[in-house]
Amino acid sequence: MEKEQLKQQLKEQIIQFLNLTNLTPNDIKDDEPLFGEGLGLDSIDSIELIVLLSREYGITIEDPKEGRKILVDINTMTDYIIGHRTK
Amino acid sequence: MSRILVTGLGVISAIGNNAQENRKALVEKKCGISTLSLFNTRYSGLRPCGEIKTETGKLLSTLQAKEKGTTRSSALALHAFHEAVQDAGLTAKDIASSRTALVGGSTVGGMCLTDELYHDANKSENGSAYLSSYDCASVNLYLQKRYQMSGTINTINTACSSSANAIMYGARLIKNGFAKRVIAGGADSLAKFTINGFNALHILSPENCTPFDKDRKGLNLGEAAAFVVLEREEDVKGKKCYAALSGYGNSNDAFHASSLSEEGDGPFLCMQTALQVAGLDTAAISFINAHGTATENNDLAESRAMLRLFGTPPPFVSTKAFTGHTLGAAGAVEAVFSILNLNYQEIYPGIHFTHPIPETGLIPETHYRKTSLQHVMSNSFGFGGNCTSLIFSKV
Amino acid sequence: MAQETIYPGIPPSILRRMGKAVRMGIGAAIPIAQQNNVDGIIIGTANGGMEDCIKFLNQIKDYDEGMLTPGNFVQSTPNAIAAQIGLLHKNKGYNITHVHRGLAFENALLDAAMLLSENPHHQYLLGGVDEISDYNYNIDWLDGCFKKEKISNAELYNSNSDGTIAGEGAAMFLVNNNSVNAVAKINAVQTLHTTNEEDVRQALKQFLQQQLPAAQQTDLLLTGENGDARQSKCYIAAESLFDSHTTIARFKHLCGEFPTASAIALWLVCYLKKLPQHMIKRQGTASAVRHIIICNNYRGLQHGFMHITLEQGLHNSI
Repeated sequence: MEKEQLKQQLKEQIIQFLNLTNLTPNDIKDDEPLFGEGLGLDSIDSIELIVLLSREYGITIEDPKEGRKILVDINTMTDYIIGHRTK
Repeated sequence: MSRILVTGLGVISAIGNNAQENRKALVEKKCGISTLSLFNTRYSGLRPCGEIKTETGKLLSTLQAKEKGTTRSSALALHAFHEAVQDAGLTAKDIASSRTALVGGSTVGGMCLTDELYHDANKSENGSAYLSSYDCASVNLYLQKRYQMSGTINTINTACSSSANAIMYGARLIKNGFAKRVIAGGADSLAKFTINGFNALHILSPENCTPFDKDRKGLNLGEAAAFVVLEREEDVKGKKCYAALSGYGNSNDAFHASSLSEEGDGPFLCMQTALQVAGLDTAAISFINAHGTATENNDLAESRAMLRLFGTPPPFVSTKAFTGHTLGAAGAVEAVFSILNLNYQEIYPGIHFTHPIPETGLIPETHYRKTSLQHVMSNSFGFGGNCTSLIFSKV
Repeated sequence: MAQETIYPGIPPSILRRMGKAVRMGIGAAIPIAQQNNVDGIIIGTANGGMEDCIKFLNQIKDYDEGMLTPGNFVQSTPNAIAAQIGLLHKNKGYNITHVHRGLAFENALLDAAMLLSENPHHQYLLGGVDEISDYNYNIDWLDGCFKKEKISNAELYNSNSDGTIAGEGAAMFLVNNNSVNAVAKINAVQTLHTTNEEDVRQALKQFLQQQLPAAQQTDLLLTGENGDARQSKCYIAAESLFDSHTTIARFKHLCGEFPTASAIALWLVCYLKKLPQHMIKRQGTASAVRHIIICNNYRGLQHGFMHITLEQGLHNSI
């Protein structure tokens, strides 16, 4: 899968998973921070995104703190998925 | 208005089947956290819990609870309720009186039957025996029916502070003249539902929990039931009294659905309100039974709130290292422990503590000792920012 | 089914996690909480976010206790409604959730009455909320709560079969001790657990004697009659205490049956300028409605009475 295609798919999954019904994939910029400023997600969302990575890409992250380094923005998530996906 | 006195205690937890057994374990530092053995979950060997090692069927038959659809939470509640009313010397007529109220807290209710609930809720079979036993109210409705109670009956859910609020509400029913005596407390049993819920939040410890320790790894879940009998001072002349309920405060942290604000505003405010209601200065508090779940968030926020309110906090401990976090029952269990502190004029030690949290430097009590205690505070905080603090006083 | 509004005033970032009960509760609370400074939040709800609760339960089963998303779990606790209102309005005051099934709202009301007696200058947000989710509907269906046959709400009271129709709703009130501009005065609330209709009659009789001195009469009795043949005996017993002066009305054809439906009854008597004909069971001779008794029961066991007076008076019928 092309990287850009993966980014688009990931954005759709995030919107669906976190029920961000007021957003479309185009509203999420690749370098926009997911937490704090930017999308404004919180600690529960970060756990939900770890579950997303597990269910959709077979990536296991045990420590949520470790997760925060991966879940910075769409770019960092995409790079991590490319390097670690098992499905 | 005369004081509100505690005239009866009942408790069942992982460290004992009654108040005396619980006290003995606390004195002897006997931890009740173990590997789950009575019900089936993937986390049996992975997440230790404060499990009561008596099967539900055995509990029910010992209590002669033969009614169809009686859950483990109701059985535990009945066990502790029975001990409390016996201890207070209440007759069947006293309990059934329209002037006797029952207020109980629960968060799990009948959801301990996770598999049955799954089938009933998805209408996959013809309906189990537990169709009207899943909600939180089912526990107190069971007690109401069993004891033919005709006074005010109420169930409160403020997550992990539920039964602290039940005790607070009970005292207010008496103060406002809606009851002459109140049996107040709570019950919760272990459930796949809560084990998976707290695990999904990554706050269940894979080891014995270590409240207020720098390296704490989260909480251990537990199960328990506890009740206290509250009566007006003028009605209990000559009767055995354990303590007075002198203060209570309820406030909301209004910060986040599942974690406390960094400075612990909710905890600070509920402790402060409890002191105001009791008419006491911070210096009057001899001891605190802290909420102390051993999660990263709670212990830091609670420590900061204690430091802000007290300057130098009084001796404190979290007994959740013995019982696990018993959720809706925790406030009542710890109220009973606080009352035992006062009654025996002794401090139960914290266990599994090694290093203080660097940001606060607070060190819980780690040794059993006899000492003079006048007023003991018990803290309970729950999801949704629901914070409650109770103050019991020596009589 | 409750028709939901678009919920102005709830940020989408918060709305996205809420189940229907939380949305309804907050939607009803916002107009009050935005315009008034409240000292605390008191909610009655039997189930709170039942839908989220079972969504999480289904995850446990479907993923065999594997990696689960915690959002549903956090929203599944019944106190989520009161907590979210507190969170949204940064209200750090008293915050509690009464969950005693069919008397959750009555107990919340009693709590409010005690708070106002303890803190006479305070004011509180009081409400009752419950939702229909597929799941509690299924459980109550299996338990025989609902009619097996199809029925229109207009025919509810003519039905002789067991069961009623499901309902849901949220009603919120601002309560204080200030009678200026007050819509209604709630004088008393009383609760009772019994399956015996004679106990209900005696308790209501005593309640009326305490509440209404000889010279005053009940102008309106609003009952929770719900078309369930098993429960009609309690309402018949209650009605037997009122003479031809009293108009008898009912409301569950409007909102269906749910554990905190009595909150809707209270809202109706506060809100209605006159009683529509479809609510009236028996027209009384009272020309204006001042004293109102609400008499409700949930599943024939949990009974609640409220005494309300309207300062303005409610015009009887058309």
